[in-house]
Amino acid sequence: MTIGSVSQALSAYGAAARRAEAEAGAASAAKGVAPWFESLLKAEIDGARASLQAGEAKSIEALSGRASLQQVVEAVTEAELSLQKMTAVRDRVISAYQEIMRMPI
Amino acid sequence: MDLDSAMTIAAAGMKVQSARLRVTAENLANAESTASTPGGEPFRRKTIVFGNRHDRAAGVDLVDIRRYGVDRRDFELRHEPGHPAADASGLVRYPNVNPLIELTDMREAQRSYEANLNALQLARSMIGRTLDLLR
Repeated sequence: MTIGSVSQALSAYGAAARRAEAEAGAASAAKGVAPWFESLLKAEIDGARASLQAGEAKSIEALSGRASLQQVVEAVTEAELSLQKMTAVRDRVISAYQEIMRMPI
Repeated sequence: MDLDSAMTIAAAGMKVQSARLRVTAENLANAESTASTPGGEPFRRKTIVFGNRHDRAAGVDLVDIRRYGVDRRDFELRHEPGHPAADASGLVRYPNVNPLIELTDMREAQRSYEANLNALQLARSMIGRTLDLLR
């Protein structure tokens, strides 16, 4: 999987999260409850997306000889770690959601 | 985050050490570079000075290249009357580069680079292992 496709997947996630947040916001506006899960997920996704884009930009700079190898390693490692963090938080949030859905009424 | 900053600092350390290795390589490669005209100056040994730079945005002290300098020590004189750079008495000025010092400097750059590399790897594995708690 290339970084470009990861970036596209992330923007799709971001769009889904924003949609979910808009719906949840509309639903919870009446009750006055902040959409916790959605905003948490959205913050994570935005962070991961920014660092992936930074990693990609540094790689391109390095290819044209404007960035050092160390800068590329740093940016790509940061992007990798924030992607891992994002997926870990997402898995946790989804498993919590499934736990609630499985609850017998 | 502290671990992220540790990675940034270590990367800066690796960057300056690679610059140091470049200066050392220049000195070693030019250890025999004399002038081509009589009485001209040969290659002068280059030096590199490090300093710390406070990164206000990240709130950390990074290492940076303060400046590149030249070694003011005297040149080595060798008696080679047939050399194009020889003066009236047949002496040629050779660069003030001592290969032994350069090799030691190179080894020091390598050790320091490896130390920074280890710090980077450690910070990365610490973040990874902390994230594993979520899984």
